[in-house]
Amino acid sequence: MSVAVQTKDIINVVIHGRGGQGAITASNLLCECAFRAGFKDVLDIPKIGAERRGAPIQGFVRLSRDKEIKLYSGVRNADYTLIFDYTLLDIPSVVKSLSGIILLNAPEFMNLDCIDPSFEVWIVDATGISVKNKLMISGFPILNTLILGAFAKMTGIYSLDIIKDVYKARFGKNWEKNFLSAKEAYESVKKVGRKI
Amino acid sequence: MTNTESEFEGIHLLKGNYAAAYAARAANVQVVTAFPITPQTLVVEKISELVDSGKMNCEFIRMESEHSVMTGLIGASIAGARTFTGTSGQGLLYMSEPVHWAAGTRLPIVMSIASRGIAPPWNIWADFSDVITQRDSGWLIQLTATHQEIYDSILMAYKISEDPDVMLPSMVAYGGFILSHTSKPVDMPPQAEIDAFLPQIPDQGWEHIFLDAERPMMHGALIMPGDFYQEFRMKIQLAQIRAKDKIKQVSKKFGEKFGRYYGNGLFEEYNSSDAEYIIINCGEIAKQMEIAVDSLRKEGYKVGMIRLRTYRPFPSSELVQAVKHAKIVGVVDRATAFGSPTGGPISTDVRAALQDDPNTRNLTVVPFINGIGGRDVLPEEQRGQFETLFHVLDKGTYPKTKDLMDKTYWTGTIDRRDS
Repeated sequence: MSVAVQTKDIINVVIHGRGGQGAITASNLLCECAFRAGFKDVLDIPKIGAERRGAPIQGFVRLSRDKEIKLYSGVRNADYTLIFDYTLLDIPSVVKSLSGIILLNAPEFMNLDCIDPSFEVWIVDATGISVKNKLMISGFPILNTLILGAFAKMTGIYSLDIIKDVYKARFGKNWEKNFLSAKEAYESVKKVGRKI
Repeated sequence: MTNTESEFEGIHLLKGNYAAAYAARAANVQVVTAFPITPQTLVVEKISELVDSGKMNCEFIRMESEHSVMTGLIGASIAGARTFTGTSGQGLLYMSEPVHWAAGTRLPIVMSIASRGIAPPWNIWADFSDVITQRDSGWLIQLTATHQEIYDSILMAYKISEDPDVMLPSMVAYGGFILSHTSKPVDMPPQAEIDAFLPQIPDQGWEHIFLDAERPMMHGALIMPGDFYQEFRMKIQLAQIRAKDKIKQVSKKFGEKFGRYYGNGLFEEYNSSDAEYIIINCGEIAKQMEIAVDSLRKEGYKVGMIRLRTYRPFPSSELVQAVKHAKIVGVVDRATAFGSPTGGPISTDVRAALQDDPNTRNLTVVPFINGIGGRDVLPEEQRGQFETLFHVLDKGTYPKTKDLMDKTYWTGTIDRRDS
C-alpha cells in the first residue's frame, strides 16, 4: 500500500462488475474484513437499479480507521478500483471514470492499452482459478471471494487469517473452498509493468 | 463483526433493513404482518427467516396487500399485542386508509418505512415524499440518519407510543437504498437491558381498548355529528403535543442507559448554538452536511445545522428557541409538497413555526429541495446551500441559478443543456 493511502483517514473503493458476479457481496465482505482488521467505521454502498445477470453494476466502499463515515454519496475519486470483468473496459464511461490503483480480473496476457499508462495496475486471473477449482454457482465461476484475496495482498488492509474468519462466519461448510481459492489469488496477483 | 457469540448482541455490520428487523426482534414484537415492496422487503424477509429458524418468537402473517398488512396489525393491536411491519412508497399509499384508522383507534403500532420516491415515473430510491403523504394521519414520525439510529429509534418508538399519555402509532423512516441496503456497524445492547428499558406489554390489553368476552366493548362504530367526534380528534392533537415531552424524556433515558444520544430527541444540533447561518435538514444527508459545516467553520464562517428527527409532532417552539439567534435560516427537504407555499413540506412548516414568535418572525427562510428520487447529494452542493444563504443575507436577493424556481432552490437540478 502506498504511503499516501496508508495515512488517509478514509479509504475509498469502487467495484465494477456484472450482475451475477458477486460484486455487491464483495463490497459487503470487504467491509467485514476491514472491520475485523480494526477499521472503526465501514460503509458499503451497492448502486442498485433494475439489474439483470450480465448488466454492468457498481459498488462503493468506504473504510475509516478512526472517524465516523458521514459521506453517503457515491465514490468518485477512488483509492482503489476493482474490475471483476475485463470486458467492462470496452465501456467508455467505465474507462473514463477509472481512478486510484486498479485491480483487474483478467488473463495474464491481457492487453491494457485502453488504461492510461499513468495508472498502477494489478492483475489476477480469478476466473481461471475459480474454474480450475470448480468454484461455481449455477455454471458461473465465483469471483468475489477470490478478488478479495488478491485485494488483501495488493493493499495489506487485512490478512489471510481475517479472510478465513470472515468466510467461516459467512459461508458455513463452503468456507474452505472459497478460502483456498482466495489464498491462490493472494499468491498469484501481480503488479503489471507498464510501458510509458 | 461479532464482539460476542450472539448474532443479536454486540457490534455487527448490518444493512439498514436488517437493523430494523433486529430491533423489532429485540422489542419482543408479538405479531408481524408482511407484504413485500422494494426497498423495504429485506425487513420482513429477515423477520420471516428469524421466525422460521426459531430465533424470533412471534406470529408472522403473510398478507395479500399493504392495506391488509395494516388492518391485520390493527386487529392484533386491539387484542393487546405488540406489533410491527415495514413498508415503502406505493405500499404506504395503498395502506393509507387503515394508517389513519390505526391512529384514530390510538394503537401503539410501530412501522419502519424505507422511504422511496412516489411514481410515476417508477422510482424506488430515497425520498421522504411517501411518509409526508401520511403526516396528518396522527402517527408520530421519526426521520433517521444512520443504521444505528434506525435500530435505536424503533426501540424508543415502542416506549413513546405505548405511553398512556400518547397511545399513538409511530413510523420510523429512513432513506431507501442509501440506508436500507448499505451496511454499517450497529451496536446492539444485551437483551436484558432492552427488556428493562421497554415497558411491559399489558396482559389484559391496552387501557382504552381490548378484546375480552368478559368485558365486552364496542369500537369503530358510527358517531353522530353532535357526539364526540370533534373531541376525539382534539385528543389526538393533544396526544401529539404531549408526545414532544415524552420523546425528549425517552431519548434522554435511552442515552443514559445505552450511551447514545440523539440531540433532544426532537432534533440534533450541530454547531448551531452560536451560528449566524443555520440550515435545518433531515435524514442521512443531514449527517453528511456536517462535513460542509466543518469545512466552512474552518474558514471562519459561523454556520450550523439542525437535523430534524421528529417530523410529527413538529417541534415548533423548540425550533424557534434553537434558531432565534440566527441571521438567516435555510431548510432542506428530501421530499415534495406540491402546491404548498415553498414546494417542500418541512420548509413550509418551519416558516409557519417561526411566524409564531416575535424573535423569529422576521427571519428569512430559504427553502431547498434536493436528493428526491434518490438523486446523489454531493458535499459541495451542500456547501453551496450555505453559500446561497451568505448571498441572500449579504445582497438581499436570491442568486439566480438553474436550481431556482419561485424562491425555492431545487439543488442539483440537471441543466437541460447538459443532458
